[in-house]
Amino acid sequence: MVQLNNGITLFFSLLVEAMPFLLLGVIFSSVLLLFVDEQKLLALMPRNVLLAALAGGLIGFLFPVCECGNIPVARRLLMKGAPTAVAIGFLLAAPTVNPIVFWATWIAFRDQPEIVFLRVGFTLVVAMAVALIFSAQADMRPFLQDNLARMMGDPAAPPAATGLQGGSPSPAEDEAISPLLRSGTFLMQSPGQVLQLDAPPAQVLAQVTGAPPPLRLRFRMMVDNMVLETRELGAVLILGSAIAAFVQVAIPREVILSLGQGPVTSILAMMALAWVVSICSTVDAFFALSFASVFTSGSLLAFLVFGPMIDLKNISLLLTVFKGRAIIYLFLLAAQLTFLLTLVMNLYVG
Amino acid sequence: MTSSIRSRRRPLPSPRRVSLPWQAIIDGLMLLLWAAMLLRFTVTGQIYLLLHPDYMWLSHMAMVLTFGMGMGRMWQVWQVVRLQQRQGGPRSQEHIALLPRRVSTGLLLAVAVFGLIYTPRPFTSETALQRGITEVLSQTRSRPQRFVLSGASEDRTIVDWIRTLNVYPEPEAYAGQAVNVSGFVTHMPGWPDNLFMITRFVLTCCAADAYPVGLPVELPPGTPRPAPDTWLEVTGRMTTQTLDNKRQLVIGEAALTEIPQPRTPYEY
Repeated sequence: MVQLNNGITLFFSLLVEAMPFLLLGVIFSSVLLLFVDEQKLLALMPRNVLLAALAGGLIGFLFPVCECGNIPVARRLLMKGAPTAVAIGFLLAAPTVNPIVFWATWIAFRDQPEIVFLRVGFTLVVAMAVALIFSAQADMRPFLQDNLARMMGDPAAPPAATGLQGGSPSPAEDEAISPLLRSGTFLMQSPGQVLQLDAPPAQVLAQVTGAPPPLRLRFRMMVDNMVLETRELGAVLILGSAIAAFVQVAIPREVILSLGQGPVTSILAMMALAWVVSICSTVDAFFALSFASVFTSGSLLAFLVFGPMIDLKNISLLLTVFKGRAIIYLFLLAAQLTFLLTLVMNLYVG
Repeated sequence: MTSSIRSRRRPLPSPRRVSLPWQAIIDGLMLLLWAAMLLRFTVTGQIYLLLHPDYMWLSHMAMVLTFGMGMGRMWQVWQVVRLQQRQGGPRSQEHIALLPRRVSTGLLLAVAVFGLIYTPRPFTSETALQRGITEVLSQTRSRPQRFVLSGASEDRTIVDWIRTLNVYPEPEAYAGQAVNVSGFVTHMPGWPDNLFMITRFVLTCCAADAYPVGLPVELPPGTPRPAPDTWLEVTGRMTTQTLDNKRQLVIGEAALTEIPQPRTPYEY
């Protein structure tokens, strides 16, 4: 009974803490959707894959949201046709590489500035590496949830991919997935172009280029979109928080803590803890600080770098974008890279 | 521009007498309930059981945002009803990837209603034992660069004592100092009957990272040991004892006063 009460209290604690960031993310995402011309933003993205990945990571400075908030934005970027490198770079780096998180980490680790800067550095390295690996896949859609992939429309050769591969997908591939073969209500536009009427309003809006609707309508659509995303992502956040709360109650913390003081085990333990606790990147620095006296610097960094990328709570959010297989790849790549980097830090620096 | 309707997933809704945008109404209700839940946590002070006070403005902001969105939704509903149009919210089932719309709406509604009924409880001695009460002399978690101690030793809270000990861990240095702390009772396994731990949870950000700290208390002969989870104010003098094969600071000559559970049971 006590355990149940603790679990429920933890559950509400996580929810109340994460909900504001989720709402901020949803608001940023909706504003971005209707008031920022992403085509222009994306057109500014460098063509080189490496630079595109870096740029994707740095977009976080425009959208200071944590990992519960950046997934709607990443989803939006993908829908608007962002190159894979930009989207993955943003997804992995944005929760950490943004002013609010930098500030929070600085407050927490003022006396260990190397942690603050290495956190940003390692995150960018891992995000760029994973983004490069995913860019090798010309068409992302097999990795994405079906309805998102459908919304992405034709995979015109992603500008970033051409830099690396120098070739565009054959026209036959494009033809094979003509929008006319999909179900739904369509309006014929200029030859070869259709407008899907029963897509979400914002999506329809995005397809109608050249005629921005009046401000009042855009505002209404923004509210619609905010409510819609709050409903979807909020429900998923509830499930994730429930799982995180009950796992935390069920596994004694000492089991995780006793795993390690050593250079290897401490990193593994902190990564496991980051995964279980699912704490928001904006406040996780303070949480990590509470382990500062017990754990190696490398393992604290592992917590701070890996936690915001993938944890128990946001796996359910990631499932709104990616299929399970892609999430497993993301998870494994991010975990291995974080582990290697922080192990080097433990063995040679710390 | 030519327009041709190729296919239709389902027939258009047949005109009905009453055409209320139920979807939008439920959305608005859900958001307003969330705002109400957050308002309730704030007004009843239960938010102190969930969050560190530094982050409470975030939940206040969430309350304002959900309220605003809910009201915006309801205003749209009012517009629609007034104009007798049938265009509530975006009807976009396809948008939803993981959960059907009804499931997600239901979950959010259920949690909001549950949050309006449920009273969060502060953590108890059982959790303190499970999480491992921070040993006075070993692992202290938070290491503030500076913390101000008021001159008198009896003004220190349990956390102040732990932090002081972390800076200068020699127990003998504190022997004889007056102590006045409050917390709840935890019975440590293996301790004799005249000893218990006076305990507090410390939050760094939210209940998810609450960790317990405590000081051992030695009861005068003949005093019965208080039940676990009783909230007490303990006054006494610091002595040293060997507990668990380690020399430790112990509150001796303890006088116990039972107190009600404080409004903010955690320390920060």
